Amino acid sequence: MHLPDGFLSPQLSLPALAVAAPLWAWGARRHFGREAAESLPVLGTLTAFAFVIQTIMIPVPGGTSTHLVGVTLLALLFGPLAAFVCEGLVLLLQALFFGAGGVTVLGVNALAMGLLGPLAGWLAWRLLRRLSPRVALFAAGWLSTQVATLAVAGVLALQHRLDPLVFPVEPAVTLAAMMVPSLALAGVVEGLYTIFAYSLVRKANLRGVEA
Amino acid sequence: MASRPDPRADRRLLLAWLVAIFVLSAVRDPRWLAGAGLAVAVLFRRGLPATLRRTLRSVVPVTAGLSAASLGWVRLVSGAWPPVEPFLALGLRAAVIGLLTFAVLDRVALLAALGPFPLLARLLVVTLAQVHALRLLSTESLEGLRSRLPRRPGPLDLLRGVGGITAMLFTLASRNARDISDAMRSRGF
Repeated sequence: MHLPDGFLSPQLSLPALAVAAPLWAWGARRHFGREAAESLPVLGTLTAFAFVIQTIMIPVPGGTSTHLVGVTLLALLFGPLAAFVCEGLVLLLQALFFGAGGVTVLGVNALAMGLLGPLAGWLAWRLLRRLSPRVALFAAGWLSTQVATLAVAGVLALQHRLDPLVFPVEPAVTLAAMMVPSLALAGVVEGLYTIFAYSLVRKANLRGVEA
Repeated sequence: MASRPDPRADRRLLLAWLVAIFVLSAVRDPRWLAGAGLAVAVLFRRGLPATLRRTLRSVVPVTAGLSAASLGWVRLVSGAWPPVEPFLALGLRAAVIGLLTFAVLDRVALLAALGPFPLLARLLVVTLAQVHALRLLSTESLEGLRSRLPRRPGPLDLLRGVGGITAMLFTLASRNARDISDAMRSRGF
């Protein structure tokens, strides 16, 4: 889902980084404390957790596979801002050590996959959890995936509008290429995963988990 | 990753790389991009085949797929082929940035270069150590799940299994965080 380097001009990538950076600082201070000795290990370990979840591939009928994002789960357990900080670090690690995504597009990817998606999922869960916890969890995972994908596709469409020489792919093609797998597959997988994982994490009754 | 113990040179290289990738992301002329690609290949010729393979594997399929779909779509809707140059530039831009990134990151000792930013360096060390530990655990758990089932696990089996693994990873992650936190405090951090 996340963008590689070269798809966006600095016209969009730099403002996105300028928006993301203070939010990372605020989120890190708010959720992970002021003292480095306290905050770094927790932040690092939760980021590692999100990273590992994203490497787990689920095979789907038809011979393809999809991977989990798992950030919605962190948003439900710790709040959207904490999820944003962790996903930002996951994306940085992927860009620097594993050659996925990119540094120039870090801000856009983080805002879409780490903030907008999980925030939408968290809101859906807060709205629906009294009606049916399972439906709320599924909706959170599903909606989070759709919003994040739509945000990335929207930024690409905006880049096409601003300068088609930088991103010549037609918005209709971008939208179809990204939203069809997301609506049909990735969202459903993420929704089911959120139900299973959240229930088990809650059963484990861990200290420090809000919700 | 190179073992050259010169963090200052590594930092200069990282800074130059950071500026270069943002500059490259603004270039739209395929000729300039081809020239930049050639320059990267000459400057970083040691290990070039491996870097090229990595770029071809991770960058080119996405760009080529999207470009082909878009070209086909425009042909279908308007009946004429759109100009190929912007697609060529997109593919080249993504490939050159990827090539440069892989070449530079292969040559710097990233964690040593982050010396002036001790918080970031410590955070990355803690995270990478945890990533390796948790990855090993998740791989073993998934293998265990596969071996326990009498048939090949389907997507739903795997999702259920991953739910269980998540709970275990989460428990371990929380414990690790507390342990590392205590250990760092006891060492005066």
